[in-house]
Amino acid sequence: MALTQFTNLNFEDIKSSIKDYLRENTNFSDFDFEGSNLTVIINLLAYNSYITAYNTNMVVNESFIDSATLRENIVSLARNIGYVPRSKRAAVAQIDYQVSGIATSNATVTFEPGLIANSLVSDKNFLFSIPEKFVSATSEGVTEGTLTIFQGQYLEKSWTVDNNQPNARYILPNSDIDTSTLRVKVKEDSSSTTVTEYKLVDNIIGVTSTSNIYLIQETTDEKYEILFGDGIFGRKLQSGNIIEASYIKTDGKDANGANFFNFVGTISDENGANITSFQPIISSRVPAENGDDIETVQSIRNYAPRRYAAQNRAVTASDYEAILPSIYPNIESVSAYGGEDLNPPQFGRVFIAAKPRNGAFLAESTKKQLLQSLKNYSVAGIVPSFINLKYLYVEVDSYVYYNPNFVGDPNNLKANVVSSITQYAQSEELNKFGGRFKYSNFTSLIDEVDTSITSNITTVRIRRNLSALINQFANYELCFDNEFFRGNDEYNIKSTGFNVSGIDDVVYVADRVVAGSTIGNLFLFTLNNNSEPVIVSTKFGTVNYETGELLIDTVNITSTVLPDNIIEIQAIPMSNDVLARKELYLQLDVSKSNFFMRLDSISSGANTSGTRYQPQSSYQNGKKTR
Amino acid sequence: MPLQELSRGFKDISLSFKRHPVTNDLLPLKNADAIKRAVQNLVRINIGEVFFNDLIGTNITGSLFELATDDLILPIQTEIETTITNFEPRVRLTDVDVTPRQEENALEVEIRYDIVGLSTPTQTVTFILEPTRL
Repeated sequence: MALTQFTNLNFEDIKSSIKDYLRENTNFSDFDFEGSNLTVIINLLAYNSYITAYNTNMVVNESFIDSATLRENIVSLARNIGYVPRSKRAAVAQIDYQVSGIATSNATVTFEPGLIANSLVSDKNFLFSIPEKFVSATSEGVTEGTLTIFQGQYLEKSWTVDNNQPNARYILPNSDIDTSTLRVKVKEDSSSTTVTEYKLVDNIIGVTSTSNIYLIQETTDEKYEILFGDGIFGRKLQSGNIIEASYIKTDGKDANGANFFNFVGTISDENGANITSFQPIISSRVPAENGDDIETVQSIRNYAPRRYAAQNRAVTASDYEAILPSIYPNIESVSAYGGEDLNPPQFGRVFIAAKPRNGAFLAESTKKQLLQSLKNYSVAGIVPSFINLKYLYVEVDSYVYYNPNFVGDPNNLKANVVSSITQYAQSEELNKFGGRFKYSNFTSLIDEVDTSITSNITTVRIRRNLSALINQFANYELCFDNEFFRGNDEYNIKSTGFNVSGIDDVVYVADRVVAGSTIGNLFLFTLNNNSEPVIVSTKFGTVNYETGELLIDTVNITSTVLPDNIIEIQAIPMSNDVLARKELYLQLDVSKSNFFMRLDSISSGANTSGTRYQPQSSYQNGKKTR
Repeated sequence: MPLQELSRGFKDISLSFKRHPVTNDLLPLKNADAIKRAVQNLVRINIGEVFFNDLIGTNITGSLFELATDDLILPIQTEIETTITNFEPRVRLTDVDVTPRQEENALEVEIRYDIVGLSTPTQTVTFILEPTRL
């Protein structure tokens, strides 16, 4: 009996299983011949089994959040554990306005919800709207103030409730909605003039039978459904009630950076009549930022189970990592760890480092706001605090060999390589706390950019930016948390130039290995006219090659060659795979990486014997500074 | 000593699915009849019709709507020869004859072959291919 392999997904395997069965269990013998009638039936059976096996496989795959591929299935599975994926986010800007020429009899004017301004970003016009009306006081026919505007088109939708209709659903008809701009109001009936505003909640804690609340969930095609209470948790709507929903449909991150706005909004007077004659002047206070795409399926897979595990409570460090992105969606990556992990330990504290999506650091005001929000979740007695991100940059020098027979312009090929690497540099795999630069993946990526690329030789270095305190005596500690390579006795560590008090010339840092130890001494040197190093101070600090840590003795740095008081310090990692530990955040710096195109004369046939072929060294250059 | 022939038997199912009057079993196709049906099937299978195998069959059905010239007949003959040689190891092909029947818009196909290992006379399969317009 041969039908033991039930998990076959290959047509030929299924077919041979059926043949094996027939071989032992039938009087018919012609199953081995492709033209026979029996083969027609076997093909039919095998195809049927194949389709069934395929469908079963797909159904099972789509039943688990880890293996599902269709967004609506992933969203549905996340919904089972109470997770609502983040919607598209509108770019938000703040504008200062001054409107004159208003009748002096008006004590206030109202900016009506809807279109308020437009702006150009990369030659594309974007509309900006406000989700609700905004009342502004006037004085002598002039009103002024600050307004927060959202990129996108203001839309409205209303439904009449009919409880006799089973399975009534209130689905907003547009995709690309920013759910934070959703406003839901309910009127008693169509003749009623009073409206009740309903509030969005994400759980039913504290919700009573009369709470005016609603929930949202993502449905198919990235649209959203509004859910109302059932009379036990949340007020139940009655037949005849009118639901009015308004929201903004946005272009997401495309509008980030909009800075110059034209006023195109509608203003009404105290009686609700539109004012047709007025002179608006608007200027940007904060350019449009924080626009973002809808949460990706990878992100849902990552955060939904963690959010569920956290159970709306921040107890362990990973709970903080799960909760923060939900209370502040603009976070790209977050890392949290308990103070007990530090040396010396700081018990009772949780340290959080977060990388926002658009920018390098969280604003102080945002940190305060987040700490306040975290109080709703954190355990009493535990003090969460934000620490600044520390970027660990990875730079590469890559020599890319190509076969000229398959490529027209090597510059185009180089552009393709840089484009692929830039894409990789922005990928979620790399841009996260605990990220890892995987050398073999990286070199394979270059090889796979084009069939004309035959190989590449890539060297890796790591860099951190020392932010110097100008004209102040200070100690500095710079952690790379990756072991340093110390192949040379000195100049393993290199820096950009800077000035220190007491020395006129620009100085640089380098190291000298202490024989037989894992420690080295840092020294300062200048370059003479022949670009040869002249040591000016032999005691500048120490380097621990094993832990990847630099300790710089007290020094007064007076200026730096690079802007923003930055001194770039680089080292060669012992391993080509670079890890970002604790609060270090890995960044592949493509702008400071170098890509050199090299003609592969062996593959092209120009020099098949390889006698004139000079392979590139796999080791770093001999320069003593960056 | 006379040459001893290997005794072989072939048994296929009949797609007419008719009942044997005595045994009530399905009617089988045996030996020469089974092979004849297999040869006909091979010729009539359109390329791509067998799942995951684009080599089995011929393109004859598609060719039936072409003008019946020598340019059409020769490739059809070659296709039939190739597919039978490749996929019907039980026969040794001796001749394939394709004759256009202009007045009926049809092709008459005559295939002659010997059965390998059976002491039967040369077999002949004749059938008419007609274009079917639906």
